[in-house]
Amino acid sequence: MREEAVLFGEVKSLIGILTDPPMRNGNHPKPAVILLNPGIVHRVAPGRIYVGMARALAAMGFVVLRFDFSGIGDSAVRYDNLPFDKSAVRETQDAMHFLEATRGVGRFILLGGCSGARISLQTACCDPRVVGAFLINLQMTEDEGQNSDQVTRSAAFYYWNFALFNLRSWCKLLTGKANYRNILRALGFQARTQFASGGRMSAESIQLAANLRMLAERGAYVTFLYAQSDPRLNDLCEVVGRELKQLRALGKVRVQIIPRSDHTFSSLDDQEKLLKEICELIDAITPATAGAPLNQRQDQPPQSVQETLPHHGGK
Amino acid sequence: MRLAEKVVPFYFGSPDKLLFGCYHEPSLERRRKCAVVVCQPVGHEYINSHRALRQLAARLSDAGFPVLRFDYYGCGDSSGSREEGTILQWLEDISTAISEVRSRTAVVQVCLIGLRLGGTLAMIAAAERADLESMVLWDPVVSGKGYLDGLLRLQKEMLRFRPKPSSAQEPQGYLDVLGFPLSRFLRAELEKIDLPPIAVSPAKDVLVIQSDQTAGEANLKEHFSQTETRLEYQRFDGPQIWRPTSDGSLLVPSQILHSIVRWTHRVHA
Repeated sequence: MREEAVLFGEVKSLIGILTDPPMRNGNHPKPAVILLNPGIVHRVAPGRIYVGMARALAAMGFVVLRFDFSGIGDSAVRYDNLPFDKSAVRETQDAMHFLEATRGVGRFILLGGCSGARISLQTACCDPRVVGAFLINLQMTEDEGQNSDQVTRSAAFYYWNFALFNLRSWCKLLTGKANYRNILRALGFQARTQFASGGRMSAESIQLAANLRMLAERGAYVTFLYAQSDPRLNDLCEVVGRELKQLRALGKVRVQIIPRSDHTFSSLDDQEKLLKEICELIDAITPATAGAPLNQRQDQPPQSVQETLPHHGGK
Repeated sequence: MRLAEKVVPFYFGSPDKLLFGCYHEPSLERRRKCAVVVCQPVGHEYINSHRALRQLAARLSDAGFPVLRFDYYGCGDSSGSREEGTILQWLEDISTAISEVRSRTAVVQVCLIGLRLGGTLAMIAAAERADLESMVLWDPVVSGKGYLDGLLRLQKEMLRFRPKPSSAQEPQGYLDVLGFPLSRFLRAELEKIDLPPIAVSPAKDVLVIQSDQTAGEANLKEHFSQTETRLEYQRFDGPQIWRPTSDGSLLVPSQILHSIVRWTHRVHA
């Protein structure tokens, strides 16, 4: 395995780390994997997850590029006023051009967390070179991450889905050791969103469902990965639940839940489970198995990972 | 502010322990005779402060200073796994970075800028070498035990609104601190950090930036009291940018960055 610092893009202002496998099979080259910034965190990712991921995938024979979008991490800012969603898609395509030119790879798997998941999906939709997209904790809208209610929402999700079934939490509640203000705020938030959720995001749901169908027809593999305590999984089910069910039944889309983990995979245990899951799923998308629907292949999800959709815990 | 900056990413150091660095080329019309090496914090503090330190490097290079930001062994983009980091190794990495910036720029004078544990490492490295011009210590860790207590408190806080991890990491010899493994060896090394007074000047000029009001100003003053170092102290009321924020944003303290650039500019006029 070899790591190389690279500069690429229109004006060579995008900075990335290219991880090459120890040996490459020239006859059946595997697709290259591109890791996209999780939110505004630079290409190392929280807990240095992307470094471990790139090294593990390179050890499996994949060429891996993790880089920073303009204005994030070490890459320079753009001055063309292009909105982030457009510039990020264009820069992801720049990364693909770069790998085509320098490594001779013409097929790509995109992987990103949070807003990086959204950019992965958008790029996959407009570029047929993308054969797989791994969307980790996909957020449904661009400005969602700036929503100040997000913290309260995570707390509400935790209370409804975990604390409610935890004996220690009940003991704390009954012995006066709980934070009652937090609990009341979270319950209030839950009640408000319960009433506000009817008919939500119809335009978005139509678009997302159409995109998923189009990718399925093209034969691109789409995998949604969600941390179990991330409320965004509920958004996904709310927006395209029915479509998702059909596509999963056809083996076109996969939804995986990483148990007992949080949005940024902030424990070593979370990271280990995420890495294991991603390596197994990406390994499944190889020339030998490409083309077969996901549910007809022999790859089984690891025991630690659930492939189910939530029953909308608090909603 | 529009910076026509040039940043060069590269690997340097010994082939078995390659370090990642970003070299910020100085503005040509104001090129100075002193290079800057930025010593970053480690663990989650490195992730949270990366944006601010990158901005600082851009401002310094715009002011004419060649700047090298680098990742320690086992951190960031450098080689090595997270479990391999040790204080001794990181001190060696600072020396490697100083040699690298000197050979790259042909400039002899070096200023170290360190944040949190990076500040502490810069202090120790500078005292061992005694050949540095200046140093900026931004909220350096003055007590290893206090630093470790803070990390463990933060870890406990983080676990409040999330399911508890299913496997205990401690038996494997690592403490889980916000997704970074803290080895027993590194913990023992950190516990020993307790800056005693030194006799040799680590640098001619030192600026201490303090935004953490709980940190010991007295300890630092005592540390430098027997040296001829010109010590300047600046206090700022503001967020501790190395801590995780509730909404995941990364903070850039413009006032502190401005102050560091102004001081460096004045000392190396």
